[in-house]
Parts: sequence; structure tokens; C-alpha cells
Amino acid sequence: MIKKTYFIFFYLFVSIVKLYSDNNLDIEDKVLFFEERIRPVLAQKCFSCHSAEAEKKGKLKAGLLLDSPQALIKGGDSGSVLVPGDISMSLLYEAVLYKDEDMAMPPKGKLSDGQIKDIKDWILMGAPWPGNDMNKLIANTDDEEPYDWEKFRKEHWSFKSLSKVSIPKIENEIKINNPIDNFIIEKLSKSDIIPNSTASKNILIRRAYLTLIGIPPTPDEVLNFLNDNSPNAFSKVVDKLLASKHYGEKWARHWLDVARYSDGHGGFGDNKALPNAWRYRDWVVNALNEDIPYDKFVTQQIAGDLLDEDKNPVPTGFFVVGPTYTSDGGDPEAKAQALAETLSDRVDTFSRAFLGMTAACARCHDHKFDPITTQDYYALAGIFKNTRISDVKVGNQQIIDTHNSWKKAIDDINNNINSFLDNESKRLKINRKQIEKSLDEKSKKKIVALRDELEGLKNREPQKPGSAHALNDSGNSDMHIALRGDLRKKGEIAPRRFIEIVGGKSRPKYSIGSGRLELAKSVINKNNPLTSRVIVNRIWGWHFGNGIVRTPSNFGVIGEQPTHPELLDWMALNFIDNGWSIKKLHKTIMMSATWQRNSQYKQSKFEVDGDNKLLWRFQPKKLEVESWRDSLLSVTDELDLKFGGAPDGEIINSKRRTIYATISRTGDKFKSDNFLRLFDFPAAVSTSPKRASSTVPQQYLFMLNSNFMNQRAQALGRSLFESKDKRNDIIKDVYQKLYSRAPETREIELAYKWLGDNPNVESWNLYAQVLLSAHEMIQLR
Amino acid sequence: MKFLEHELAYRKATLNQLSRREALMKMGSGFGSLGLASLIGNSNASQISTNSPLAPKDPHFEPRAKRIIQLFMPGGPSQVDTFDYKPMIAKHAGKRPDSVNRKTLRNTKMGLMPSPFEFKQYGQSGKWVSDIFPNVAECVDDICFVHSMHTDIPEHAGGILMSNLGALQPNRPSMGSWLLYGLGAESQNLPGFVAMSPRAQPRGKLANWGNAFLPGAYAGSYVNIQSMKPDAVISDLKNPNLDRATQRKQADLLGELNKIQLERMEKDQSLESSIQAMEMAFRMQFSVPDVFNIQSESEETKKLYGDSEFAKGCLIARRLVEQGVRVVQLNHSIDGYDIAWDTGHGDIKGGHSKLAHACDQGIAALLKDLKGRGLLKDTLVVWGGEFGRAPTSEGAKGRDHDHYGYTVWMAGGGVKSGFSYGATDEFGLSAVHNRMHVHDLHATILHLMGLDHEKLTYRYSGRDYRLTDVHGRVIHDLFA
Repeated sequence: MIKKTYFIFFYLFVSIVKLYSDNNLDIEDKVLFFEERIRPVLAQKCFSCHSAEAEKKGKLKAGLLLDSPQALIKGGDSGSVLVPGDISMSLLYEAVLYKDEDMAMPPKGKLSDGQIKDIKDWILMGAPWPGNDMNKLIANTDDEEPYDWEKFRKEHWSFKSLSKVSIPKIENEIKINNPIDNFIIEKLSKSDIIPNSTASKNILIRRAYLTLIGIPPTPDEVLNFLNDNSPNAFSKVVDKLLASKHYGEKWARHWLDVARYSDGHGGFGDNKALPNAWRYRDWVVNALNEDIPYDKFVTQQIAGDLLDEDKNPVPTGFFVVGPTYTSDGGDPEAKAQALAETLSDRVDTFSRAFLGMTAACARCHDHKFDPITTQDYYALAGIFKNTRISDVKVGNQQIIDTHNSWKKAIDDINNNINSFLDNESKRLKINRKQIEKSLDEKSKKKIVALRDELEGLKNREPQKPGSAHALNDSGNSDMHIALRGDLRKKGEIAPRRFIEIVGGKSRPKYSIGSGRLELAKSVINKNNPLTSRVIVNRIWGWHFGNGIVRTPSNFGVIGEQPTHPELLDWMALNFIDNGWSIKKLHKTIMMSATWQRNSQYKQSKFEVDGDNKLLWRFQPKKLEVESWRDSLLSVTDELDLKFGGAPDGEIINSKRRTIYATISRTGDKFKSDNFLRLFDFPAAVSTSPKRASSTVPQQYLFMLNSNFMNQRAQALGRSLFESKDKRNDIIKDVYQKLYSRAPETREIELAYKWLGDNPNVESWNLYAQVLLSAHEMIQLR
Repeated sequence: MKFLEHELAYRKATLNQLSRREALMKMGSGFGSLGLASLIGNSNASQISTNSPLAPKDPHFEPRAKRIIQLFMPGGPSQVDTFDYKPMIAKHAGKRPDSVNRKTLRNTKMGLMPSPFEFKQYGQSGKWVSDIFPNVAECVDDICFVHSMHTDIPEHAGGILMSNLGALQPNRPSMGSWLLYGLGAESQNLPGFVAMSPRAQPRGKLANWGNAFLPGAYAGSYVNIQSMKPDAVISDLKNPNLDRATQRKQADLLGELNKIQLERMEKDQSLESSIQAMEMAFRMQFSVPDVFNIQSESEETKKLYGDSEFAKGCLIARRLVEQGVRVVQLNHSIDGYDIAWDTGHGDIKGGHSKLAHACDQGIAALLKDLKGRGLLKDTLVVWGGEFGRAPTSEGAKGRDHDHYGYTVWMAGGGVKSGFSYGATDEFGLSAVHNRMHVHDLHATILHLMGLDHEKLTYRYSGRDYRLTDVHGRVIHDLFA
């Protein structure tokens, strides 16, 4: 009940103004009004359950007393019920209005209109109560804040404002490419670690390809790079990859993890398909390819449908692809639960994705660790409660218009027929159902002609426009805090607005529609230190396996501290200065000596920093399942590079890139879900900050036995079998193709041993399967 | 060598190697080098990888139960027609006293409806059991009944998820995956958590044995008993084209190449785990079909269980726990219905007779078989649905959902035997004495398995999650 204080303060000013301006009664009249009109009603209708007397008898309900002004202001389980001067904030008034069945009071019947108006007037005149000064009472109520806001803003790293950091000077002779290296080397030096040297060119180009486009380089591409001795050889590779449309296909998937992307097919009460979810997926791919500034990227996803310029509802699919629960019965408790869970998904996804804040924790109580109140939670939830999901037509406007006018023409003819028949029915006084039989020849002909025209029109349907799942606004009202998370137990109102820790006490309320556009503006506001830090950290994490903050969606108190806070801030500011360009950020990161280091294990360094928090090497890691599968298809020359469009159903049977899989939210709808999940594809039920990297035997069962692997092995095996080259060259070539390197002698020897003198196609297939299943194929180093 | 024998030999070898492994660990060389040694030396030898997410973990305290078999009864079996004997219903038949007049109950105009089944007393404990469970009735002296269960909502999907996940929405890990996360697996050749059902999966499907945000290794593996092919229990368990010798050779080549890569890297955790995982995968191909093949059971055992689909599941459950599977969830279903016991709406007598008949013998056989093999003492068996059914009628012959009070029972695994805990009101609608919420049941089960439900946490999306969320009390009164 602490947080209500804030509101009381907030409204104190308002109420004082109202007290002295809105009515002309003097204080004695007011007291009289109370004694004659209010106290009797309270006593008669309320005190049996809401008074000290009732409390004594054990009959007190909702922890609420109404027999003293102190009690009214203090309130009960639902918080304060009275804000003198403000009916919209006074639950007492809302309860007697009887609008909301869960709150309607008194329970045995609505008060008379006159009594209700009296209560309204009494509140508006400042709720006078003899012997009490309401203003003093308000001032004396618990003035303790839920959090020490200023302390959080000063002391918790992520709430501190972004400020210019100076780049550390490095005195030793370790290679430095750009300021990233200064920050990294400074820390390494403090631990007396010398970072690894630059990776070989073979490894470097493979790393760049797998990182940026998720497909390994061809042997020719490797060779070209090896032969390019110009100082900007690597820079050229990076530029080329960033310009490739396949870059968007790789990096969209990272963001889709955050967006908990699925094509629907959730659990009970949420099991329908979202057949057009892919429009959102394609939007992400294209947005990244076009490198639209991140602030715009965010705005469009929160409020793309509400923009004047660049209006586009498709990106709001960000919210729609998540779970929207309904109840499978009519039970009110279950219905409230379903809505509460849906709103929780929206608040959770929004706050963790864009702000790195776990606001959903404040659903039932103020956040235990972070400065996020239930007021904040319901301020955000309210925005989504005023938002609904609907399908919108998308694509070429001409196609949409043509299709619309075609539909209108059909409607027009139908109307013509009907009104003609209606009129004839009236004129001839024959039942409308029988009228057709009784028409004269002329009329019959007319009807036939109209019907023919209709048939013809129906057969000439123009190209159908596409459809996308998107948000639009459905209301403009604040919601109540749900006590202990139960939407049926209403607490005080939480006006829609930004979270207090970032927005400050006097942050404005949102008033335009649902408030989403205002929300988007709050997110990208340059005074909000979270947004840029969060995205820069995510990108860094997707490069290095770990973020500078290793909990990319939790920048709160129990999230991890940044390993290099100054570097994070330098990059965040740099990012904003570069027009929120993600591609420029990639370039900066990849051109650093830090990114280009080899991944070699070194005992002495490992002992000091086994987790590689200081980045003395490039952390070797397993590829995401998408890149691994795409690589397998790519090296067997089978990958279908068709770009965008509807998902391909069972991706395990397809040759398209893995991003085009149909994903079920619960991961149990499609056979391919099992495959993807087996290799750590995240559950699409909630936003996923980071992929797990598990190693389980079932993965090897897949590699050794599955249809998918057998087919890849046969494709590769046959091409090796049919090759006219010398055995030695075949093996060298396949190593170049699969691993971007030449084989070692012992690897060639093992191949010879396996193949024998006269290998048949089966031997080659089994050999190919081993090469494709090898760890080197799934490893990025 | 038959694979079960092989398995035993392997387990013995593993035990011997544990101390060696520990020694090596202390020397800082880790299991990776050992895994390699085995790969080069004897490719059949194996170790339990400490890096594996499924490596056995120490419980928080001495466990009473090492494994659990959950006999889940989706749809809501009626307590007053099975194990919660309420003679008062007959005395007030047709009436609707205040205590049973709850607003969630539908169509109760006909008032209290006596059970269509006879109740008799059984065993030394003199427990009243209805005549639709004649075989289970013989086991009452081994059973610990809880009559005071209650849950949050009277809807199936939510109720089922609450029973298995401790939450109403399918976005939390299942109890089985929590147990696996807390304790690891006993057998490294078999999945640690097996969920089964004949035909239909219970409503909520995968979520009931899913891992949600826990790492993928803790997901349950689902097996459909009806269509069960021992080779297809786990996807891609068998290579359709290769004999075992060829596959061994192929696996060895893969191991060699990975070993070379490891040498190049000098040390790499994920590669070391991979080498381990591949060997385990190779072994699983043979141990998994073995354990699901019940043909090797004696005629006597087969007769004990009978031949219903559910009984087949019970027998497999015993074989699984015998081989060290930590968690078995066997869901009841007949006629492909995902909430089987819900046939109680229209016709309690018909629906419940049929369902009980389909599982009674199998359940009793399982209890007797486990006991006979000395496994019951550290295997916890839990029976129950997501809620019960009301003592009032729904329509003329049915009963509606009752989440105010219902019965679950447990056996073995350190619970009292021949014991009944808690009580519903005189008519059996609401739990009134020693009330036990599903969260309390979960806390209690975790405790029996050696885990503190408040300490078994997983950090996700910024907070520590638990099976019991912020609830749950351990009911010590149930412990032997």
C-alpha cells in the first residue's frame, strides 16, 4: 500500500485547487452536507461490513473500514478508496456507480441516483468530515516511497545516464584496431593476460560468413580472400556480407528469438495458427537488410499502425506472434487468468526486449529487486489492454483497391437483386420467399441477367491482397491494479505511462488511443539509458556468445553486471551517433582486433579467466541450429536460397533456409519442432534472451540415423563417388568445402583407411556422413 | 552379450571408475581426457560425464524416494465413487444442503447423488473402497491416501497443467523435468524422464512433460503405448540401413576425427561433451529398445498385470525404474480421449466403471511387483487426477468438476502405508480438514525425493523460478 502515496501527493495539488475553486460552500455547510447526506448512507449501507464495529465482530470485508476519514484514505485490500476532490481516483465512487460487477457496492442493491450524486459532490468538495482537516490527513499518510529512486538512478549502472567515456590509453604493443580494443586490452592488462593473436585468414573468413550470413564461404571465396593482400581485404569481406540479403535472414532469427516468434499453434486456449505471422518475419529480415535505424525499428514494432509517416501495421506483429490466451470454459476465474496471462506476455516481452527490465515481476507485488512498481506494471498492461489484434490487408495498394472494388461490385449486385425482389414482394403482396416464382417474364429476365453478371464477376476475382496479423487500438482507458495479480480484485487505477525509474515522477500520462505511440517515444527517448545499451549488448552477445552484460534481457539488480561498462557506454553512444545503425555497429565490432583473435585454448590464460569474460580469445561456440542446418545443405550443394514468403511447413523435409520453418509455439505441433528444439532452438512461449548450448546423446542419434542426415550424406557421398579426380584431391576438396581448410595428413590417412582400395558409393556415403556430423561442422571458432 | 547384461557390466564399470574420475578431476584434467582414453582404448567403456546436464547430482538431503511413477488420471476421477467413502450422501440424497451448493457446479437440481457403486472395507487398515477398484483395494495397506486435495480452477486444461507444472499456463517446466534438473539421471543410457499414455496424450500435451525454460536435456521423452515400437521410442533411435558392426566402425571414425579436432583446440568443453554424447547415443540404440520390450517378462508377471494397454504401461514403468529411469509419468486414457475421466459428466456409473476396469489390475500389479522386487521402498507411486467430482448430480446420472476437494494417493517411496490424511466435508465436496493444495503435494513429493522445493530454483527472465512458485508446504505427516 506504499505506492498509493505517490498518487495521493500527485492529486493533492489537484484536489486543493478544486476545493477552493469548484464550490462555494463554506466549511459549515459542507459539514452539514456530510452529516445529512453522507454519514447516514454510510452507516446504513456500509458499516455492517466496513467499520470498527464490524471488525470486532469478525465481519469486516476487504480489510476496508469506512467509519473514519483516516480509514477511507488508508483504504483496504484494494488500496485507498478516497482521493478528496477527485472522483476518478476514488474507488468509493466507482463502487457505488455499480458499473463493474466485481466492485459494485453495496452488495444488496444500488444506491439511489440521488445518493450517488451526493457521494460524488461530497468527494468533489474535498470530502469534508467534521473534526478533520482532509488536507492534513493526506499529507500525514504514509509518505514512504517504495524505492529510493535517486539512489537507484545514481548507483545502479543501467539507470545511470549515458555519458561520454574517455578511451583508455594503452601503453603496451598489443595490436589495436579501434577503441573497442583499448577497453578490452586495458582490462586484460590489469589481469596480466596477453590476448591471443589474430586468427588465421581461413578461420577469419569462415567466422565472418557464419556470423553474418549463417552459411560458410565457398572454397573460391576463401581462396580469393587468401590471395587478397590488400590492407582492407577483410573490411571488403565484411562489407560484402553486410550487403548480402542473406545477412537479414541470419540476423532476423536473432531478433525473432527475442520476439518469441512462432506461427501460432500454442497450447490450450491459444492453439490457433497464425498463418500470416511470416509477414512480420519478412519485415524483420528486410528491415535489417535495409539497416533501418534501430529507433525506427523499435517504434514500428510498438506502434507502426499509429504512425503518420511510415505507417505500417505489419511490424506490430512483434506483439501478435506471442500467446493470446483464452479460457476453454466460461469460468470467470479462468477468463480473468487468461487475460492476465496475455497481458503479462505483452509487458514481459516489451520490457525485456527493449528495456532489459523484468517488469512482469511486478504483476502481483512491487518488484522485489528492481525499482518497478505494480503501478508501472499496470501502466504498461493498460496500454495493451486497449489494444486488440486484427488482420490487415497488406502489399501493393493498387491490388488492395482493386480487390476492394471487386468486392463492392459483388455487394452492389446482390443488393440490387434483393431490393428489386423486396419491392416486387411488396408491390404484388406475395411472400418474399415465394416472390421469384411469381415474377412476370420481364422481371425474371432482369433477375437472370443480374445473376449472370454476378456469376461472371465472381469468376473474375482479381489478385488477392496479402494479410498480416497486427495491432490496432481498441480503447483509451486506464486499468486498475489487479490485487495479487487477480484481475477480478481491483486496486487503485494505474494511469498509462512510462516506468517511473526512467520517466521520473512527473512523467506524462499517455492519452492518445492506447498510448502505444507515446510508449514507443518513451522507449527511444535519448534520455532513456536502457534502450541503446540493451541492443548494443545484444548485438555484442550474438557475436561473442556472451554479452558485456551476460543477462541480455535483464539489466536489473539481479542481472549480471557489465564486464566492461565503459565499453558498453562507448558503443551505445557511438551507436546513437551513427544514427542507430546496426550494420555500422557490426562493422565496428568485426574490425576490432578483439573480434579477430584466434580461439585457441591457453592453459595459463584459462586458469585466470576460464569464462573468457576479459575476451583474451574469440570464444569457440556451437552454431545455432539454423546455421548448422543451412551449412549442411550448402556444402552438399542442396540449399534452396528462395528468399522470404510463407513458411515451408516441415523444414526437416525442405531444402530452404531454416528461418523459413513453420514454428509452433509449444514446440509439439510439427516434427521439425522436435529437431529444432533438440538443437536448442528456443521455446517460443516467451522472449528468449540467449540460446542454450546443450550437448545430449539424442543429437548424435540424429546425426547418425536421421533421414535428414542420410540424405545429406548421400548427396555429398555420391558427388565424391562420382568425382573423376584423384583420391587425394577429392579429400582435399571436400575439406575445403566443408571446413574451409586443407586436411592434415592424418586426416587423409583416416579417410584412406576407411575407404579402402575400391570404395563403393555406400562407403563414400558413410564417410560423408561422418564429415558432416563432425564437431567442426557445428562449431564456430 | 545380451544388452541388459551389458548394461549391468557397464554400470559396475562406471561405479569402479567413479573414484578414478574424481581423482582425475581433482588433478584438473577433467573427464575429457578420460573420455578420450576410453575412445582410443576400449570404445565400449564409458563414463558418466560430469559435464552432462544429466549427470547425477546430490540431493539437498537424504531422499526417501529415488524415483517416481506418476499414474495420472486426466479428466477428474470422482472421489466419492472411488476412495473417499461418504455414506451421508445417501442419507440426504436429492437434497442440496448449503455446503454443496457452490456456484461453479452446473445443473445440480437433482441434489446429492449417492454413489452407484458398493463400498467395502479392505485390509488391516479397514479402508473403504468402491467396488470398481477391487485390485487396488487389496493394496490399501500399502497406500497413503490424501483426501483433502484442492486446486485453483475447475477447468481441465488449467487443472492438468497445475497438477503437472504447478501453474495454470503451459509456460513452466513440468515436475518431472524439475526432478531431473535437481537430481540428474541415474541411467545414462536411457532418458531420465519418460511420459507415456495409451493413445491420447493428456490435454496440454507436451507441456505435461516439457522442460519450458529449463535446458532441453530435462524434457520428458513421450511414448505412445498403443503404437509403441521399441525401436521408435526415441526419434532416430535406429539407423534403418546399417548393421551394428558397421555403425560401430562409423562411430569410431567420427570419434577419431573429433579427437583430432580436440587436439587442435587443445581443450574444448563442448567438444569433450560431444565425444561423450556420441558414445552414449551409440549405447542408447540398444538399451532403449530392450527396456521397452516386455516379451522377456515371465508368464507369471504378464498374468499379474493382465493385458490392458494401461497395464502394459504399468509393466514398462516398472522396467524403466528398474533400469534407473528417474521419472515415469503414465497417463490414463481410453478411446483416445485426452481427459478420459471426464466421461463422468453424463454417466458416472458407466464411465467410471469402464475407466477403473481399464487400469485397476495394472495399478495393483505394479504395486505388488514393485514390492516383490524390493523397489517399492524407494519408488514413489502417485495416483490422481487434476480434480475430483462433486457429490451432487449433474443432470440425472453425472457429476460435475470438483476442485474444492478430491483424493490423490501415494505408495512406497517413504510415505506412510495404510494411512489416510485429511478429509472433505461430510458429503465429500470440499476439503475441510488438513487441506492440501497441489503446490503442497509438489513440495511434499520433492521433499521425498530429497529436494527442498524452495531451493530447487532456476534463474530465468530475471527471477528464480520454482515448481511451487511462491507456495507449497511440505506435509511431514505423510512420511513414514
